[in-house]
Amino acid sequence: MILESTIRLPFSYAAGTVGSRFLIALREDQKILGARCTSCSTVTAPPRPFCSSCSRTVTELVEVGPDGTLEAWTNQPGNGVFGLILLDGADTPIVHRILGTINPGTVNAEAINMTPGARVTAMFAKDRTGRITDIEGFIVEQDDP
Amino acid sequence: MTSKMTPETTPETTSRAMTPVAIIGSGQTNHAKERSDVSQPELVREAVDAALQDAEILPEDIDAVIFSNMELFEGRAFPELWVAEGAYGNGKPVFKVATGGTSGTSACIAGFHQAGSGIFDTVLVVGFEKHSEGHTQTGMALVDPFWDRSVASGALGNFALSISQYVSEYMAGRGVTEEHAAQVAVKARRNAANNPHAHLQMPDLTVDEVLASRMLAEPLHLLDMCPQSDGAAAIVVASRDTARKRGKAAAWVHGAATRHDQPYLGDLDRRLVTTRAQRSAAASAYAQAGITKPLRDLDVAEIYEPATYAELAWYEALGFCEDGQAGRLIDDGITQMDGELPVNPSGGVLSTNPVGASGVIRVVEASTQLLGRAERRQVDGARTALATGYGVYAWSDVIVLRSEMP
Repeated sequence: MILESTIRLPFSYAAGTVGSRFLIALREDQKILGARCTSCSTVTAPPRPFCSSCSRTVTELVEVGPDGTLEAWTNQPGNGVFGLILLDGADTPIVHRILGTINPGTVNAEAINMTPGARVTAMFAKDRTGRITDIEGFIVEQDDP
Repeated sequence: MTSKMTPETTPETTSRAMTPVAIIGSGQTNHAKERSDVSQPELVREAVDAALQDAEILPEDIDAVIFSNMELFEGRAFPELWVAEGAYGNGKPVFKVATGGTSGTSACIAGFHQAGSGIFDTVLVVGFEKHSEGHTQTGMALVDPFWDRSVASGALGNFALSISQYVSEYMAGRGVTEEHAAQVAVKARRNAANNPHAHLQMPDLTVDEVLASRMLAEPLHLLDMCPQSDGAAAIVVASRDTARKRGKAAAWVHGAATRHDQPYLGDLDRRLVTTRAQRSAAASAYAQAGITKPLRDLDVAEIYEPATYAELAWYEALGFCEDGQAGRLIDDGITQMDGELPVNPSGGVLSTNPVGASGVIRVVEASTQLLGRAERRQVDGARTALATGYGVYAWSDVIVLRSEMP
């Protein structure tokens, strides 16, 4: 005998002091902020309230990206390509979608020809709502633009 | 090219040897994709009765019960509340330990400390999971809501990314290939064919079949990954005095360590390459147990490998070989049943994965080997055994057991 059931789970999460500044800068200014640790100088992006290297409380935010370098990626059939992107000015990579290359006007995921170290740039959403998806993903820069 | 390194090692923590304790009995269910023949407390009761019978004790001999389980996977709050009766928990101290996939080994270590501290004399540790009753992918997708939930695809995508870093580094200079990973998959499922409790038993699996299986997330094929299983496992931990007075064989705890590390995939650089939490836990547990050359000093290992590539990374993190030699270790058959250090005679997590139970199963299997009761999967003459746990990129547990009292 099996009982069937479905649960709906709505939540409201506080982004916190550092997370809120990141999301507001993203939504209002299309800027990506990282957190610089005043103790060990590590810049984490997205910014963490506590340094991921030395655990000290972080208060200084700096602009990073929107260009960066692709460190690793995985192609998940049906779900898209995800990558670790080291944004210029940051010391730790961000996890995000890799959208492909730009053929005039359209994103062409099929044309992705990636190698570690490939240069990428953030593509911002037109309608931004203060979420990490205000960055739609990252475009791989082509050798011959 | 890679990002700024987080420190390769975690800060030193105090890890003095604990008062010796012993595992005096253990048991597990038959694990399967779906155990719809029993409810959650009934599943737990199966493993608990098997452990009590193995220890030759009665429910009233148990002083406290520690549970390991993944909240959310069964869609039920406080799972330990509902299943405690299955472990004869009413009227006793009952609590849960939760460290992701590591929960089972962490719960065992909590039991070691409780029995070793004198707080309780005899402690029952139980891990269980019924993946078939819930929606594991939903549970796994409820990760950090700000960064990871919308841009990475659950555990698999994140894990594949971590492995992608590992593979690209290794392919560049250290020689780990997808064939090496496939050999791990074949070893696990063939070993599982000797384990009547195992979920996936594939005695005829080949490397080609692993490589031809569906691509889940590059470089992970379906057969590179662990399954989702229903199952439970339990151990009985006793203080030194109680274990000695029994005058029966037992598996003695010689070393145990747990480590947590920060959770964001990108923040801990080259996570699967540096594996600093596991290296730190291993260093502590080995020091407690006097292990200096793991390949020589250990007779059998039951390690928590959620994916084939993870087993290769753990070979190095656990000191079975030098960094960069994991491919050679599997090529040379060192970790096969007839090799110098058989790894996962049970078939491992790759063959059986009721997550909350998986860490406990590692300890059950390791102690069963030391008691010589592992039947067709027995490693002859095993006297020193390793059991490990791994959870959500962040946690690592390492346990060393011996058939002799410390």
